[in-house]
Amino acid sequence: MQLHNRARRSIRMGSAVLAASLVAAATGVASTAAASTPTVSISVASLIPGSTKAAVAEFNAQVKEFEKSNPGIKVSSVQYQWTGPTFAAKLAAGTLPTVFTVPFTDGRSLGENGQLANLTTYAKALPYWNKFNPAVIAEGIDAKHQVIAIPTAAYAQALSYNRQLFQQAGLNPNDPPKTWAQLESDAKQISQKTGMAGYAEMGASDNTAGWILTTLDYALGGRMEQGIGTKARATLANPQAVQALNMLHNMRWNDNSMGSDFNYGWSTINQAFAAGQVGMFISGSDVYTNMVQSYNINPKIYGLAPIPLANNKNAGVLGGGTLAAVSPRASAAQIAAAMKWINFYYMEPLINKTQAIRNARTLVASKQPVGVPALPIFNEAQYKLANSWIKKYINVPLKQMQPFLNGVFKQRLIPEPEASTQYVYGTLDPVVQSVFTDQAANPASLLRAANPTAQSGIQAGK
Amino acid sequence: MTSLRIRRGGRAPVPEATQGLVLHSDWQRPSVRWGLGGAQLLLLVLLVVGGLGPILWLAKSAITPTQDTLIKPIAVFPHGVDLSNLSNAWTQVDVGRYLLNTIEIAAGSWLSQIIVSTTGAYALSVLRPKWGSLIMGALLTTLFVPSVVLLVPLYIEVVHPPLIGGSYVNSYWAIWLPAGASAFNVVLMKRFFDNLPREIFEAARIDGAGPLRLFISVVLPMSKPILGVVSIFAVLASWKDFLWPLLVLTDASKQPLSVRLPTIQGQTDLGVFLAAMLIACLVPIVGFLVFQRSFLRGSGLGGALKG
Amino acid sequence: MAPELEQTDSTFTAATISATRPARARRTPLTWLRAGGISRLLFLAPLILVFGAFSWYPIVRLVLMSFQQTNLVQPATWVGLQNFSEVIHDPLFPIAVRNTLEFAGLALVFGYPIPLIAAVLISEVRRRRGLYSALVYLPVVIPPVVAVLLWKFFYDAAPTGVFNTILGWVGIAPQQWIQSQGQAMPSLVLESTWANAGGTVIIYLAALTGVNPELYEAASVDGAGLWKKLWHVTLPQMRTVMLVTMILQIIGTAQVFLEPYLFTQGGPANSTLTVMLLIYNYAFGNSLGASYGEAAALSLMLVAFLAAFSLIYLRATRAWSSE
Repeated sequence: MQLHNRARRSIRMGSAVLAASLVAAATGVASTAAASTPTVSISVASLIPGSTKAAVAEFNAQVKEFEKSNPGIKVSSVQYQWTGPTFAAKLAAGTLPTVFTVPFTDGRSLGENGQLANLTTYAKALPYWNKFNPAVIAEGIDAKHQVIAIPTAAYAQALSYNRQLFQQAGLNPNDPPKTWAQLESDAKQISQKTGMAGYAEMGASDNTAGWILTTLDYALGGRMEQGIGTKARATLANPQAVQALNMLHNMRWNDNSMGSDFNYGWSTINQAFAAGQVGMFISGSDVYTNMVQSYNINPKIYGLAPIPLANNKNAGVLGGGTLAAVSPRASAAQIAAAMKWINFYYMEPLINKTQAIRNARTLVASKQPVGVPALPIFNEAQYKLANSWIKKYINVPLKQMQPFLNGVFKQRLIPEPEASTQYVYGTLDPVVQSVFTDQAANPASLLRAANPTAQSGIQAGK
Repeated sequence: MTSLRIRRGGRAPVPEATQGLVLHSDWQRPSVRWGLGGAQLLLLVLLVVGGLGPILWLAKSAITPTQDTLIKPIAVFPHGVDLSNLSNAWTQVDVGRYLLNTIEIAAGSWLSQIIVSTTGAYALSVLRPKWGSLIMGALLTTLFVPSVVLLVPLYIEVVHPPLIGGSYVNSYWAIWLPAGASAFNVVLMKRFFDNLPREIFEAARIDGAGPLRLFISVVLPMSKPILGVVSIFAVLASWKDFLWPLLVLTDASKQPLSVRLPTIQGQTDLGVFLAAMLIACLVPIVGFLVFQRSFLRGSGLGGALKG
Repeated sequence: MAPELEQTDSTFTAATISATRPARARRTPLTWLRAGGISRLLFLAPLILVFGAFSWYPIVRLVLMSFQQTNLVQPATWVGLQNFSEVIHDPLFPIAVRNTLEFAGLALVFGYPIPLIAAVLISEVRRRRGLYSALVYLPVVIPPVVAVLLWKFFYDAAPTGVFNTILGWVGIAPQQWIQSQGQAMPSLVLESTWANAGGTVIIYLAALTGVNPELYEAASVDGAGLWKKLWHVTLPQMRTVMLVTMILQIIGTAQVFLEPYLFTQGGPANSTLTVMLLIYNYAFGNSLGASYGEAAALSLMLVAFLAAFSLIYLRATRAWSSE
């Protein structure tokens, strides 16, 4: 969903042998760049609007370094944040930077509409091309088997919680809720004891409300769609979605444990959490980065846990990720330069030990987070090994994120609904809002009423 | 047509004894003095609390520590004043740059509206080409089409301009030129020119003044009042515009304040954000206080014209 | 809007007839040149170019687009009335229409009588009338984006919110404001009235100043009291301007966009989704690409409705407004 440009990932490559060969290959890429003669200019997505000066300075240092090792390329940076309601205008207007990011949900459809550059030859030349997790790289390959985007990060949904509020409410901050019933009662206790929202949830009309509802649906074992493409069937009114909404309704209206703001979006819920106003909320496992970059969160309060899964064989955790893509208006030379940037900025720190360490060092120097948990885009063994490279630079409260790290690899990861994902989320937004703002709301009938809209959107390929 | 004159306090002519809604003798009656006087006092209180209040609150909160504003929004400086919000707005949020952008956009829009409306109105009112009525009709038709519904075709035109090619997204021309297409301005200007004495034009013509001389040396100097009114509304409208610059200026470094403020709201400390909002208000407020007469005169004129 | 058409049109015709230039028997390019044809053309050029490019052409384009499907990448295709039918069958369409009517209706209830009363009171102020006018007009000069974002903060639903704190002083429980389906729309209208009423007051003040004092004198001589004069002189004299401000307000509120866009994005649960916001969402809201055709179709429907409404309104009120 709402994905920003992640400064750095902690997904690291596998064995030392592999890494060594990649170092060689990656430096090879760099040296051919140095040899290329004419100057080519590209613009790249930088940080999200409103990032701190330190974060911006760190980004600019990266650009300088890239330009130094690629003398033929001039890089200008553009503040960028993907949001459902703003992306289309930028796309139509051709004002996207040469390199930008889109969520997993949109990559393939954009590629099939001819709205992303074809990266196939460049991508397949990447030394680590065959090492991607097949399910992850599939997000960047369209129906015509063209590579139209490179996965740069993957996340699983997780429960961020405020350890300080847990303590104040008399709960054990090292024991976050493991079941939904426990989450409900913890939320109630927090709001009664501290006056803050025990559990808050995104409810804005920018598809975030639908995104989180789908997360809850998955966690209880439901699905919002069956099938793929324009033939997929919308199943919004599945029993688990009804159950999830009933649970929210109960917390909102009976327990009164959800605070007073029901219009949070991706950024504003991070802001409220960093300001200590929220006990628990669900978002990607990597939101801590944004809380540091934009809101100077106090690291002591932060805790991260896996999402409780119901005792249902279909229950799983919703996962997604970010793709780096290139504007379809880019020339061949620009695409080549763009791929070098993608390799340098997004990928190299994941595959190159020297680069990873140097990178971690600059991040630490400018007080940017290093070591925020994410999902591997290669595999778990490599992820754990790679983390050891930068162990001494990790400056995020990893111990407080341990519940998540211990739990997430045991969870079943389920990708977001495949067909018309954002449209379906958008259809669910008002359903969630109804439950939050109307005590008499009937979840089952709201979902049934929304289903035909979602279905027609899927059929129209929206 | 209603008069364009607005009576102002102090210099307002004293009405004669029997001419007016409320007479001097009425004011002697206690029911009027208490009823009407009370109602006027109540109105003043409401205007101060309701009209001025939010602005004063903004001014207060812009220099209050964020935590105080969050926890006790109404309290006046419970823990003193915090001027760092204003300086942070300048350094962190870069308000100065967006203020300059806003000014640049407003200046260009103003120029474009003045050029189109004066030359067009001059041609239609003074030079009078044969097919003038056709153009006037086409102009008046556009009054029926609210500009916002042209958003989509205009946007596509700016993204893919026919004939000239390229893209004017992120170019100020995409704002300046469409701003000139205000039929309201042309009509306002033309009606003013229509009322200028024709004899002066004839005299100038006899003296050998060509159309350009007549325009620059005679018509424009005589039109200062209407130029002032159109200018104020051009600048104010540009300062207030949101949707169109939001669409065509996607590059953050080119955006005016009105577009920038909602974007950074989620990422900015509340106190700093409120300070940025205050700065965005100050220019129009000061402009209004300085040019109050022209503002009010222009507003009344708008209604008078529409009547 | 339309009154201008009538008046200006008539002045124009009068002006054309009274043109001082003698009629010429024959016109050749040479006579046209000598008569200043070039300079006329040059003076009209900015107007024709700017209106041509940014008003007349987009109007034509809007009509064409409403019958086309295009995403700006692939070439446009003609689809007949499909865009219109898709808009009409969109479940959001009736919701948007209803919400827009609600906004316009509430704006009339809040925003129409208050400026009139305020203007009458201010026009009879004996001292510091300038202060009143300035205070009334001040919110109008605040950039609307700032006004909305400021009020959004006032509408904070927490008990510590600005308005909720004030309600707390008089013992009223905290309200949900823009986070309640029932209160969201009135909250939007309240802010909009605050931001816009000042302009209407000033128009009324100008109209009140223009009332011929002799009419009051005549009424006084006939022994009319204050209320009678208000009813029989002031209001009838204000009739035309009142009718015009009313239709201008209706036309303006039918296009409301900024408030729902910035306050609520149309939420909660579509309770503040207006027609303009729906047009915007069609055109720019879907991350995979735009439905410009549907946006154009709905825009065209809005224009047609407003034009028809204005004409009917003018016809219906013509008899009443001309004394």
